[in-house]
Amino acid sequence: MAFDANSDVTDEALLVAYGNGDAEAAAMLTMRLTPRVLGFAARMLGGDRAEAEDVAQEAMLRLWKVAPDWRQGEAKVTTWLYRVVKNLCTDRLRKRRGVDIDAIAEPADDAPGAVAGMIEADRAAALQAALNQLPDRQRIAVTLRHLDGASNPEIAEVLEISVEAVESLTARGKRALKAILAGKREELGYDEH
Amino acid sequence: MTNTDRDDDKMLESFFEAGRADAPVPSQDLMARILADAQANMPAPAPIATPARRGLLAGLLAAVGGWPSVATMATAAVAGVWLGFVQPDALNSLSGGTLLPGSTATAYEVDDLIPSYGSFDVLLTEEG
Repeated sequence: MAFDANSDVTDEALLVAYGNGDAEAAAMLTMRLTPRVLGFAARMLGGDRAEAEDVAQEAMLRLWKVAPDWRQGEAKVTTWLYRVVKNLCTDRLRKRRGVDIDAIAEPADDAPGAVAGMIEADRAAALQAALNQLPDRQRIAVTLRHLDGASNPEIAEVLEISVEAVESLTARGKRALKAILAGKREELGYDEH
Repeated sequence: MTNTDRDDDKMLESFFEAGRADAPVPSQDLMARILADAQANMPAPAPIATPARRGLLAGLLAAVGGWPSVATMATAAVAGVWLGFVQPDALNSLSGGTLLPGSTATAYEVDDLIPSYGSFDVLLTEEG
């Protein structure tokens, strides 16, 4: 099967093709899904890039292994991957917390260069630091909804809760983020007008 | 919704925008590792559907065009046997004895082919 970069072939169709021994489909899936998996893992792990890469590789490995038995129409490939990443990250965070609790809940004050006139990357860092202070489920819901563009039903599937519970988690998460970031708006160069 | 709420929403959205723009880009090394895993775990290509092996009889049948042809051939064979058994003399008669020379008493006479020939002869005799 021939695919190009803008191919509108679904992830699922590519996965089935890979399951039938199509190497080109594997390359397409890697290009499409790795950035999303890595992004979500990095946010879950508080910005730890090396660990996020390990998680991304592990999640993709599980995808390759499940391909021959993939049951079509049951779950979106991305939703399945988000759930795997969530579980892998939760395990790692649990272990990490047992060792060093400060490693995750890094205060926003420690974000690099938190001074007035910050550039966008610093705002991203401040957001990450604020996200790190949220309870896991709120962080997952807000991250998937507002940074990864997942729908509420998808997030509900990832967290194995109802859509209403997702809406509630997202709302609480956003309220907490606003409270944390409100104190930073001046130093982060946020111009409200 | 108060102005402050709206401002807070706007502020938060600007942070989300920054967060989306700052998404980590996978390194070449990571992509290579993931692709290597994909290669290592890739199932063997599915064979292109091959026709099921068929037996000798099925092969022969297919070669002659299936059961309808067999029925036709059977009819032809039976007809052949029938002709062979029942009408050797008749066949030899038609061929003028060339099929089985000397074995038949039915060699053609002129009269056989032109029945009126004999009558003509008789007529001449009568008149002459």
